[in-house]
Amino acid sequence: MSAAVMEQPSQILARAAQGDQDSFSELIEPLLDPAYRLAAVMLADRGAAEDAVQEGSVKAWRKLGQLRGDATSLRPWFLSIVANECRMARRTRWWSVIKVADVDAQDRPQPESYSDLHRALLRLSPDDRLPLVLHFYLDLPLDEVARALRVSPSAAKSRIYRSAKRLRADLTMEEVF
Amino acid sequence: MSNENFRRELNRAFDGMAGRPSPTLSSRIRSAIAQPPAARSHYWIAAAAACVIAVLIVGVLFVSNPLRRPTSNVGGPVPSPSASASPLASPSPSPSASPTQSTAAFQCGTAYGPITQSGPAVAYISDVRTGTHPGYDRITITFSNGAPTSVEVKTQTNATFTKDPSGQAVTLRGDAGLLLTIRGADEHTSYTGSTDFKTGYTKLQEAQQVQDFEGVVQWGIGLSGNTCYRVYLLTGPDRVVIDAETGT
Repeated sequence: MSAAVMEQPSQILARAAQGDQDSFSELIEPLLDPAYRLAAVMLADRGAAEDAVQEGSVKAWRKLGQLRGDATSLRPWFLSIVANECRMARRTRWWSVIKVADVDAQDRPQPESYSDLHRALLRLSPDDRLPLVLHFYLDLPLDEVARALRVSPSAAKSRIYRSAKRLRADLTMEEVF
Repeated sequence: MSNENFRRELNRAFDGMAGRPSPTLSSRIRSAIAQPPAARSHYWIAAAAACVIAVLIVGVLFVSNPLRRPTSNVGGPVPSPSASASPLASPSPSPSASPTQSTAAFQCGTAYGPITQSGPAVAYISDVRTGTHPGYDRITITFSNGAPTSVEVKTQTNATFTKDPSGQAVTLRGDAGLLLTIRGADEHTSYTGSTDFKTGYTKLQEAQQVQDFEGVVQWGIGLSGNTCYRVYLLTGPDRVVIDAETGT
């Protein structure tokens, strides 16, 4: 087994924090897919989601020192940055130049094919979708959901349950967790 | 729908919304990180432009003042009682309401009123304030539930007043005075502030409550020099305003 395989995430993080771009890429690459999925659900726009992930990655690179070497916090920390980028993207969208979608429209499901749950999901605000994405879609443990939302675990639990109830009113707490 | 079905269908809906990221996303991010910040972001230019535009807009609005409206004076070309000059002591009475009864100019040595008007059986005084402004010192008495039924001002050549019902004489600062009498009012229900203002102003040197008994409230006002003053009875809120002319 090579030395690189044996290397701990905290060591990679330390090198990234010192400005090593390759180390940062090594850390961030596995998180790009969940970050993209989070952004795509929040924004309901795949092109904008990629932009948000890119901007979030650059910000994470610049602010890596905030982690203070805590590699276990990297994922929720990065996801919270991307979620924040999504909020900013939505805020600025109304005055932005409308870009031609770079996603082939044929790839998108037509509204007629949406399930009731899908439609209900689209009716939720992006901030209400966020806890559901983190908990159900990305399957993060509750403490990571809480850190990504920047709230306490009990508040995170409450937000997940509240959002899930908006999709299905008869859900019980036990069914969600 | 069971819990597992709910999760499955929810994740299917999420999949439908998200799809897969572009294969180039990773390389896009690598190159974005490799670029120096200044080359990537021109937001500071937009921010600077926004600041310049904001300053220009504020400047134009300040100079042109499109919301300025002519001041309407009831009773002649006297300054509005909404005087905005900076008071040195307690805040000046708020502007707005037009006077229901006002003097057109300062009157010297003559009585004012009594002016009678409709109002509640007892008008509760809720605030008393003094202030100084260019040309006059001011006292304002505000009512919380409507205007008093009668307001009268008498002048006197000294600053000694008689307290009622005690009959005790009290001499205020100054060498002349105004006695403000408000009937159909009380000052002990809604008012808990000072009943003696030693202002330190050049003209209106002291104001002291000398009566609050059986629906009659009186304030003695000690002035320096002459007794030139004007009275406004204002609404919104109901208040009596007395300006003593300073001549400066």
